[in-house]
Amino acid sequence: MDRTEKIGLGVAGAGHVLLFAALSSHWLSVDPLKLDNAPIEISIADDVALRSAAPKIADAPPPPAASSPAPAGQVEPPAPAPTPPAPRVAVPAPVPTPSPKPLPKVQPRPPAPAPAATQPKAKPNPAAPAKPRSPGLKLDTSDWMKPSSGANPQAKPSDGAPASTIGPAQQSALAAEIRRQIKPFWKAPTGADADQLRTTIAVRLARDGALIGDPEVVSTTGQTASNRGQVRLHQEQALKAVRLAAPFQLPPDLYDGWKSFTVNVDRKLSQ
Amino acid sequence: MTTPALALAGEAATLSPLALFLQADIVVKVVMVGLLAASVWTWGIIIAFSMRAGGIARKCDAYEKEFWRSEDIDGFYDKRGKDTIPSARIFAAAVAEWRRSTRLRTVDRDGTRDRLSTAMASAVGVEVDALADRLNILATIGAVAPFVGLFGTVWGIMRSFTAIAAQQNSSLAVVAPGIAEALFATAIGLFAAIPAVIAYNRFSHRINRLEASLGRFADGLYATLSRELERD
Repeated sequence: MDRTEKIGLGVAGAGHVLLFAALSSHWLSVDPLKLDNAPIEISIADDVALRSAAPKIADAPPPPAASSPAPAGQVEPPAPAPTPPAPRVAVPAPVPTPSPKPLPKVQPRPPAPAPAATQPKAKPNPAAPAKPRSPGLKLDTSDWMKPSSGANPQAKPSDGAPASTIGPAQQSALAAEIRRQIKPFWKAPTGADADQLRTTIAVRLARDGALIGDPEVVSTTGQTASNRGQVRLHQEQALKAVRLAAPFQLPPDLYDGWKSFTVNVDRKLSQ
Repeated sequence: MTTPALALAGEAATLSPLALFLQADIVVKVVMVGLLAASVWTWGIIIAFSMRAGGIARKCDAYEKEFWRSEDIDGFYDKRGKDTIPSARIFAAAVAEWRRSTRLRTVDRDGTRDRLSTAMASAVGVEVDALADRLNILATIGAVAPFVGLFGTVWGIMRSFTAIAAQQNSSLAVVAPGIAEALFATAIGLFAAIPAVIAYNRFSHRINRLEASLGRFADGLYATLSRELERD
């Protein structure tokens, strides 16, 4: 190994150290890919049900409710709750020594029996409409059918249920359901450019899903010179499909959301 | 929403060569160190050879020009015969053989020509061999480094898969660092091999040229000395 090789090795070694130092110190390093996609807003399809606007009654009723029947008559109940000090509680007020727990319990006790009787009864009413909002993500269609197939669908919504709002999720679910029910009866006319036609129909429904009056054609868009002859047919077919689809099976508790609506009928509906 | 992206960015930021090296398995580390040493060696050879070969080619040209200008071979030999450049050594070998052959009582011209030719050819061979000494190392590194790097990568990826199996988790966060560090071995292998291959080809070409040029000088010298033999 002669002089030039030593020089070469020295230079090469120094060069490598410099290069890797530069790479390691982010001076020369490649920037990691910048994946700065803006977060996308998504809405998770909600089940169609009432969103109760009434104050929510706490799930957990006053805890003593379960044990309330027993203590009704006595003032002794604190005895079973905690441990050995129990016997001493028999003289509740003057004894501050035992664990602090029994004391606060004794004081609220006297008024307890009275509301305890009424509360269980009051609970089921408001709770019922809230129930369908289970955490599940799918449309719980089984719930819809029950009331409408039952004898009188009016019973429930009319009984002064708590004020409810129909959120956007419910509306989109309703629209999808309406389209789904019209779909089997819809036959799109065929012909040149016929697939561009879209007829908007206004529908008014009774609570049982039957039509009130005749559905009306609001407008037909997508008309071109070549499909002008199809327009009337398209409108007729659309009206026919809506008539055949009635009575609609829709959740009665959302009647406000579907008592009058417009539906777009076009080629996509038949796919 | 943005937390996973931030976490990934933070992870990626740590993938510097040093971090990759430190995270790697011992086998991969050995591979990486070996390849880095090979790369240093390659560049050492490249630098040394460039310095030496460039200087030698220039000096030989100057030397040969000067030789062809001078009228007196013996005088030129006394003046420049002891230089340490290939042309001078070839010239010295030729003159030494010439003197040994013409010192005999009866000069065998054909035998002298043969010996002159052989002596100069072997002198050229010695010079070229000395220059080409390190080129085989470049060839070896160029051919082998990618495979060594690939070995490190395969080993590292095997380790990554073991990690997946152990953690029962194939999320990108588990797999990515291992694969990145494994691929880093191949990167270093190519980093060492590419200059080695390029340098090997360039230097072989240069040595061939130098050998041809030395051969031409030897031929010219042979012709001159052969003519001198006729004159005696």
